[in-house]
Amino acid sequence: MDATLHKQSFWSKYIFSTDHKVIGMQYAIMGIIMAGVGGFLAYVFRYNLAYPNASIPLFGHLSATQYNAFVTCHGMIMVFWVGMPVLLSALGNLLIPLMIGTDDMAFPTVNMLSFWIFFLSAVVLLASFFVPGGAFGGGWTMYPPFSAGGYVNHNPHFFTALFSGVSLMILAVALELVAMLMGGINFVVTTINKRTKGMTAFRVPIVVWFINIASVIFMFSVGPLVAGAFMLLFDNILGTGFYDPARGGDPMLWEHLFWFFGHPEVYVLLLPALGVLAEILPVFARKPLFGYKPIIYMALVSAVLSVLVWAHHQFVAGIDPRMATFFSIGTILISIPFAGIFLSFMATLWKGSIKFSVPMMWVLGFIGLFLIGGLTGLFLGSNTFDIYAHDTYFVVAHFHYTLFPDIFFGFFAAIYYWFPKFTGKSLNAGLGKLHFWLTFFAFNVTWFVLFFNGLAGQHRRINDYSDFSLIMREPYITFEKIATISAIILILSQFIFLYNLFTSLAKAKKGVKNPWESNTLEWVADSPPPHGNFQTYPVVYHGPYEYSLPGEGADFLPQNVQGKNDTNNVTQNNYEHKTATSFATHK
Amino acid sequence: MEAVMTAPIQEKKITSDGIIGMVFVLATEAMFFAGLISAYIVNRAGVMVWPPAGQPRLPIEVTAVNTLVLLSSAFALYMFGRRVKSAAYIKIRSKGLLTAALLLGATFLAVQGTEWVKLVGYGLTTHSSLYGAFFYTLIGLHGAHVLVGLTILLYLFSSFRKPLPFGVLKSRIIACSMYWYFVVAIWPILYILVYLN
Repeated sequence: MDATLHKQSFWSKYIFSTDHKVIGMQYAIMGIIMAGVGGFLAYVFRYNLAYPNASIPLFGHLSATQYNAFVTCHGMIMVFWVGMPVLLSALGNLLIPLMIGTDDMAFPTVNMLSFWIFFLSAVVLLASFFVPGGAFGGGWTMYPPFSAGGYVNHNPHFFTALFSGVSLMILAVALELVAMLMGGINFVVTTINKRTKGMTAFRVPIVVWFINIASVIFMFSVGPLVAGAFMLLFDNILGTGFYDPARGGDPMLWEHLFWFFGHPEVYVLLLPALGVLAEILPVFARKPLFGYKPIIYMALVSAVLSVLVWAHHQFVAGIDPRMATFFSIGTILISIPFAGIFLSFMATLWKGSIKFSVPMMWVLGFIGLFLIGGLTGLFLGSNTFDIYAHDTYFVVAHFHYTLFPDIFFGFFAAIYYWFPKFTGKSLNAGLGKLHFWLTFFAFNVTWFVLFFNGLAGQHRRINDYSDFSLIMREPYITFEKIATISAIILILSQFIFLYNLFTSLAKAKKGVKNPWESNTLEWVADSPPPHGNFQTYPVVYHGPYEYSLPGEGADFLPQNVQGKNDTNNVTQNNYEHKTATSFATHK
Repeated sequence: MEAVMTAPIQEKKITSDGIIGMVFVLATEAMFFAGLISAYIVNRAGVMVWPPAGQPRLPIEVTAVNTLVLLSSAFALYMFGRRVKSAAYIKIRSKGLLTAALLLGATFLAVQGTEWVKLVGYGLTTHSSLYGAFFYTLIGLHGAHVLVGLTILLYLFSSFRKPLPFGVLKSRIIACSMYWYFVVAIWPILYILVYLN
């Protein structure tokens, strides 16, 4: 790295930067902005659900069409424009080069393009609110016939059809997928080829492993969705009839192509967040991570299973019952590797000296909430129960209990943990704890009551229950109101985080290198790491989770510090031997 | 106050970044075509009369010749890659083979284009039938890949202007060729499925 490279203009340093840390932060900031949009949409339609036809503060009256568009875009935004950028792109970009001890990504220019394509995709999606007819409102899964113009218009006017809500949404998703693909390829190539001396495969931190596994799942599953999206776009703008049964097409085809990607996608979102947990747990339990290698193997097993379960989203859509059984079994099987991973996390806590720091609280909250999400998932994985609960608020509450901790608890844990590294400043711990407890309680109150509404038969796609007195009776009307008020508290409590973020950023730089006394390589670099990351590139001697080792001075042993049991031969993998000794003393 | 930094020290690379990146690009592309082809096969299986009555037949013979053109383009590229033994060698001898690969690829695309114009004239459009819809989607998306492949070959051609270390040059040739081989290899499958079916 040449010192002359560091004199950069504002534009090349902060806007069109090829530095992985700047790109990671751009993704994180964009994700937070889009979370604001998605949260506002949620506020509007939740208010409408509790108080139908009321004038909503800050918005006004919500029509049925708008309700549909808002629900659809809320789902789209939270998955593709919040979850993907913050968990995969932001964490991957910020952490991978630092954790494996290198200067930057393998393809820095591709990385920069990836962000700007992502930015463009967000603009296209938001623009779809302002075209004639408004944003698409047929559900985030974009099932035909709602999404296929070919049903009504066999010879559409090309540009009118192109600038419709549905076409813009398909284009936005396609652009977003391209951006994520460019990022994913970068992550995998960087991890394979740019590891520092001594960083063998089984000394790589779990979060890097998991982001890579997530990237591979993404790459494997995204192709068929893009193929399906092309066909859907052509149905709209060229008048093809791929999904129109009247012309020989098949609407089920889209459901298969969509869910072949859509289900692995939840593991693409889950794995990076689980990686964050694996990084934070040992640091605040002051113990080695329990079962480093088994955790990686279980993640690989879940990656394979993840592409074999997609049709459990289509139990009601009319698939062959024998096929439904196959997918039921696959769905229930995939909970085994994840149960294993969570068990390893619990075992890491066992007899540790746990510090309830702010990142640790988010991690423990994640584990508790995800347990509820995972267990209700077991019910739904069974074909017989799913037919009863299909499209009710039970399903909605289930995936909010998985995706909300996944995206937000995972992201907040990561922010509170790595903020000192990337800014050289620290977030206020008191405000952080207030933020955590308010979010934790408000989230639980919002979604727990909706399980009961779902079991009582409340359907997720109805905007006004005034005419359904058999379903919408007491106590469910009250539950609906409790959920809405609690959701508003949930959204408002995020302003505590924003306040904390801005006031902390305004403070003077302290530049503490390793505030949590952690082992991984990012803590070896300066805070914030300069362009090029390391003054002297670290050499790695052992695995990432060597805490409370007997015979060492401190209770942590950074990866670049040679411990007593480490041989000089850095390529020799002595990880297993060392963890075995450290477990023995913890019994 | 930036200090001069040392260069990263690294574990041994398996192969160049470009080649590994291309492997993942092509794996994704393979899944993309798998999605398209499976959609076509599933739909085709449910239809008795194919192609539908009143729709024109596809130009099997011309496209067979065109398939040979595309295959010979890949062969020319392969011979080019084999011949490059040093960075100096490229200037004098073997750029002709790369040019041949490029021109053959462009010929394939041009012939496809003229055939499309004829087919539209005969009444085969994207909205005339599902037959037409699948034809234009599958063959059109493959054509788009051929165009990307040609762009990559042009990039390879232009990158010879600057002197490069032989190792970099060689792995760049391999990575770019891999994309072209993929585009060529997927074509016979599409030809058999769409034209001969």
